[in-house]
Amino acid sequence: MTCDELHEHIDPFLDNELGLAEAQKLQQHLEQCPNCESLYTSRLAVRDALQKPEMRFLPAADLSDQIHGELLKQIRPPARRAWRLPSFEFPSWVLPGLAGAAAVLLLWFGSTIFLTANRTSDGFVATVTGQLVSDHMRSLLGNHLIDVVSTDQHTVKPWFAGKLNFSPPVYDFSDQGFKLIGGRLDYLGDQEIAAVVFQHRQHFINLFVWPKSESTGFFDTSLQKEGFNLYGWEANGLTMWAVTDAAPDTLKTFVDLQRQKQTGTEP
Amino acid sequence: MNEQEKLARFEGEMLPLMNDAYNLARWLVQNEQDARDMVQDAYVRAFRFFSGVRGETSKAWLLRIVRNVCYDHLRKRPIHSSDVELEKIPDHSSPETELQSKSDIAAVRLALSHLPEDFRTVLVLREMEELSYREISEITQVPIGTVMSRLARARQQLADSLKQMREKDLV
Repeated sequence: MTCDELHEHIDPFLDNELGLAEAQKLQQHLEQCPNCESLYTSRLAVRDALQKPEMRFLPAADLSDQIHGELLKQIRPPARRAWRLPSFEFPSWVLPGLAGAAAVLLLWFGSTIFLTANRTSDGFVATVTGQLVSDHMRSLLGNHLIDVVSTDQHTVKPWFAGKLNFSPPVYDFSDQGFKLIGGRLDYLGDQEIAAVVFQHRQHFINLFVWPKSESTGFFDTSLQKEGFNLYGWEANGLTMWAVTDAAPDTLKTFVDLQRQKQTGTEP
Repeated sequence: MNEQEKLARFEGEMLPLMNDAYNLARWLVQNEQDARDMVQDAYVRAFRFFSGVRGETSKAWLLRIVRNVCYDHLRKRPIHSSDVELEKIPDHSSPETELQSKSDIAAVRLALSHLPEDFRTVLVLREMEELSYREISEITQVPIGTVMSRLARARQQLADSLKQMREKDLV
């Protein structure tokens, strides 16, 4: 084994992730090479220091009670619906937005979820749509709506590129009344998804986007949930969901604009 | 499984991992209150999607959620610089005998807290949580080769900055 090879293998060796044969070769090299031996010693010292129990942080004693309390709220529907609106940190345009109760959530989903919805998966669908509506509501509170504030699609799109392994379509439709106002990351479960945010009069539109799962077949699904209108479709390998409390035909107009742009302009 | 049963199963499986979750969050967001919030958020999120069926261990699954929540939080924070300052660390008021090991730990903490997030993450997962490359790869959502090279660079960088600190007599 050469010194270069040793440098390449020293960490997996240290971590017991190297095969036996390689490990033996490495060991032999170490015995003959003082330079590599000193690298190994330095690595060992770093590891020993990091593994000292004092390096770990321990939570305060009340954290598990606090978590338990939060979890209890999750299974008590009345507590969960008690949306508290913070009395501060409100951009002035959020309140009219809430009052208008008009927002569109565009959700790019693992698409099989809704298509295969049946009796056995009803609970799961409820969980997912519940989370989407919850994500949407949360996005309107505080300063959660937008991470990158820009009306320029050439700013928003690259912003996503550094954070996700897929590229959501970002277009501005100001001329048609749907103004691009920014983007943010959100979650579907533990999956990171894109949310592109639009404004239509006093209404907000969240367009949620994520890569389509393999077993797909989910097209043009329109549904209502808890007062929001949702519209889902697929294009160019992505799943998208739009949810709004604006009128369904407004949502449809927006979706049509998106689809026209996406067809042919995205690979 | 009704909601109460689900909660009981979830807590039985996940609450024993709370110290691990907190340690990761604390090292990532670098302050106590934020770390608490991150852990709580992660548990709520995990509970919503808890079904008992997973292709990974409970620990890897939970830590992946914790890591995602923390990264999300860090991206939203306007200033990324660490709250820990170089000058604050050595406190030489302790008795002679404890001095050496105490300041060593302070130095390593300081050096680790200044590493980039991706490096801090792999070191915490590997050295403190003792996870395998495969598990770390699942949590950080990068290939095993990337885990390996991040660990190598993180250890090197940590060793270098410890050496620098000793030369500058900061510790």
